[in-house]
Amino acid sequence: MAKPGYILLKLVEVGIIFFVILTALFFLFRLSPGDPISKMVDPMLTPEDMAHLIQQMGLDRPMWEQYLIYVKNFFTGSFGVSFHYGEPVATIIADKLKWTLLLFTTSTLLAAFAGVFLGKIAAWHKGSRLDNVMSISALVCYTLFIPWFALLLLWILGFKWGLFPLGGVLTPALWISNASVVARILDVLHHLMLPLLTLFIINLGSYLLLMRSSMLSVLREDYILTARAKGLSEKKIRNKHAARNAALPVITSVGLSLAFSINGGALTEQIFTWPGIGRELIFAVSNNDYPLAQACFLLIALVVLCANLIVDLLYAWLDPRITY
Amino acid sequence: MGQIRKSTNNPYTKVCDHQSTIFLILMTLAVLGLAVVGLFSCSQSKEPSFLKIGLPEEPRSLNLWLGTDANSRNILSQIYQPLFRRHPETLEMIPWLAKEDPVFNEKEMSYTVTLREAKWSDGSDFTSEDVLFTRQLFSDFKIPRYYSHWRIIEKVEAVDVHTVVFYLKEPSAVFLPRVMTAPMVSKKEWEPVCKQALATEKPLRFLQDYQVENPLGTGPFMLHEYQKGAYIHMIKNPYFFGQGQAIGNLTLGPFVDHVLFNIYGTSDVAILALKKKDIDYYWWDIQPGYIKDLEKNSDIDLHYNKKSALYYLGFNLRKPPFNDKVLRQAVATVVDKAFILDRILQNHGNPMHSIVPAGNHFWHNPDVRKYGEGMDQKTRITTAWKMLADAGYSWETPPVASDGSLTKPSDIQMPSGEKMEKFVILTPPADYDPKRAFAGTMIQEWLRQLGMPAFARPMAFNSLLETVKAKHDFDAFVLGYGKLDLDPDYLSSFFSTKNDKPRDWNMSGYRNPEFDKLAATQKLTVDVEARRQMIFDMQAMLLEDVPYYPLYNPHIIEATVNKRFEGWVERVDGIGNIWSLCMVKPVD
Repeated sequence: MAKPGYILLKLVEVGIIFFVILTALFFLFRLSPGDPISKMVDPMLTPEDMAHLIQQMGLDRPMWEQYLIYVKNFFTGSFGVSFHYGEPVATIIADKLKWTLLLFTTSTLLAAFAGVFLGKIAAWHKGSRLDNVMSISALVCYTLFIPWFALLLLWILGFKWGLFPLGGVLTPALWISNASVVARILDVLHHLMLPLLTLFIINLGSYLLLMRSSMLSVLREDYILTARAKGLSEKKIRNKHAARNAALPVITSVGLSLAFSINGGALTEQIFTWPGIGRELIFAVSNNDYPLAQACFLLIALVVLCANLIVDLLYAWLDPRITY
Repeated sequence: MGQIRKSTNNPYTKVCDHQSTIFLILMTLAVLGLAVVGLFSCSQSKEPSFLKIGLPEEPRSLNLWLGTDANSRNILSQIYQPLFRRHPETLEMIPWLAKEDPVFNEKEMSYTVTLREAKWSDGSDFTSEDVLFTRQLFSDFKIPRYYSHWRIIEKVEAVDVHTVVFYLKEPSAVFLPRVMTAPMVSKKEWEPVCKQALATEKPLRFLQDYQVENPLGTGPFMLHEYQKGAYIHMIKNPYFFGQGQAIGNLTLGPFVDHVLFNIYGTSDVAILALKKKDIDYYWWDIQPGYIKDLEKNSDIDLHYNKKSALYYLGFNLRKPPFNDKVLRQAVATVVDKAFILDRILQNHGNPMHSIVPAGNHFWHNPDVRKYGEGMDQKTRITTAWKMLADAGYSWETPPVASDGSLTKPSDIQMPSGEKMEKFVILTPPADYDPKRAFAGTMIQEWLRQLGMPAFARPMAFNSLLETVKAKHDFDAFVLGYGKLDLDPDYLSSFFSTKNDKPRDWNMSGYRNPEFDKLAATQKLTVDVEARRQMIFDMQAMLLEDVPYYPLYNPHIIEATVNKRFEGWVERVDGIGNIWSLCMVKPVD
């Protein structure tokens, strides 16, 4: 188990790294070419209009002053107002995050469970036809090009067979007609299926292969031989002795994937018109929407740092030999 | 390892196989279950009275002062209305919220505008007070895009509830096309917001960030519901002033009760939605790659219209080598617009000869100097070579041999005897606009045939604008305007000497006192025919001096499903306009 001193040290470390990221983000955006209005190629917009807009955004102030406001805003819990949408950044993120978490967290967890389960079986059956089929399928899934695969699923299941909608998160006519809550939930789940299936299939491959290779190396360990010599059942050897140890790298990977899942996936979200944070992040960066882009990156950094910390501590719990 | 293999015969592994089978069956059942639910809900959603329109992106904002992007404008233009707008066919300014043409009083330098007896979507009256308030709002907040035009107004007076007099500081040719086309807003809706905003440190920012829940307008539709990230539902405005009225010889509706805007993240998916009839119209330009497929579909109509757009090659006239007019003319001569049109635009467009697009037929001057017209590539190079040689340019090995055949030229030397330095043609990257990127590459190749050290370089759009518009640190560039205003006053913005400063619109650094004089005079010329002649002269001058060389004007291609609605109104810039939404009706 991790000692309180170690946890405290880790928390300080996370705090310092986060502050460095906070500062780096501010300067990276200010140093990138252009500003929030430079993309407005509109001859009706005079240089005076542009200067007025810049002044109203507070971007005419000295850099250090902008930085202090930014740091102060962050520590007072305010991320500012998006230049592009004119809405508080926190509202935009909360609005988008729910959709991203629904899709990406669900797909990561489902794929991880299925990957661990199937990877365990593939390793246990190493060299058999079942293993070959699983391994080759997993490799194919792992190397699929997301936009191509997503469009293929949309075309076959959405357009040709009409089983699923062509994107979005809900059916407007259904929502307008004041359908019941159950009908609305089912409608969202229905819209979720195609992007979920795409991400599930793509993620499944990597988890299956990771679990399989980890399991194979564990099965070669002496303690597995000892377990057999003790006369333990195959079920106990596989699930308690082999799979639990083999799952450690998968847990690390899932932890980080879950953390990164708040980042969403711009391509998947774009193709399925999923109103998540991935699309928004790309859009905010390309439009120099500093408050929104900074807040998105800070959120990702914070979650990834926390996930790393949790995975570190979880290791000690999963493997009693590890102490901090 | 042998032990592991042996374990495959263990009864437990069969249990595992069973578990995996059950797992897979459960997953499949869940997916199929939702598919069935989906089929049911999809069949319920085919509501015939809804006109369904696809948008490529979420509107930026439904606040008029912030929502300046195309998608927001598409929605807001159904709500907020101007006093005058352009007729879809003639493109002339016609009264809209105004009742009749304005009465000009030359002595007082004033326009008297009589308003229609229109109502806001909450049933309250639209009056001259609203016009006065709108003007005050533009002035108090220095609203970008409007304030600069409304500055020409000295004062506005309300004679009565439906009569407003605009007093101008000086005569203005752009009073109707620029001032009177501004959207009118309700005093009742905006006055309290403005009061709050003016009390803040950043009034404009406050005004733009104000969240408009239920915008009050006078247009054909009003907002009913906005589900962010999903759809926008608009319903017919029962108080629309144009309902059943003949305006510009068109008897207006709207003839649909509901309009539903759906968002599609990619054109691929939007096209599938059209083919599946999930939407009736996709409010975006269809790329030529989709056209063959759509043409085969009898349920889909394609609409081809001219665009008020300008795609051009620009030069930096502030430094060598392009500070030489003859060199620019020679470059213009070797550019093969027919090739660009054929290979890059797949013939979905027109070659552009003047800065004002041909679709803007009243202001377009068809008789400007045309470089290389009707010439084959060999003649182009020969002609350009002669022009340059006559101006003092030289080569060790010229591009044209003594027998008239083309050769690989050595590096070109300037009239001063110095070797021409390598120069760069900046273009947007291919993922932003493949047409402009490929046009840049082709121009590079043609210039190299003349011995010029040309290099086309794609650059991120933000950086490109920063380099060209703010820093003026470039040689040449390929850029464009996808939607130019129909009033040609932009010629003054693009080429007046006073605008040759960082971040202003004279990016080329064109300085011509004669042009400046015309640009200033046309702005003050109320006589349309006289102004037209000036605009024609300005175009001719520009094609002689070639600060910009117009390349092409792509068609706007749009698609509609023809089974449910008909009556789309075609005009320059396509069928996506308020006239269409006022005229479209369900198919009998």
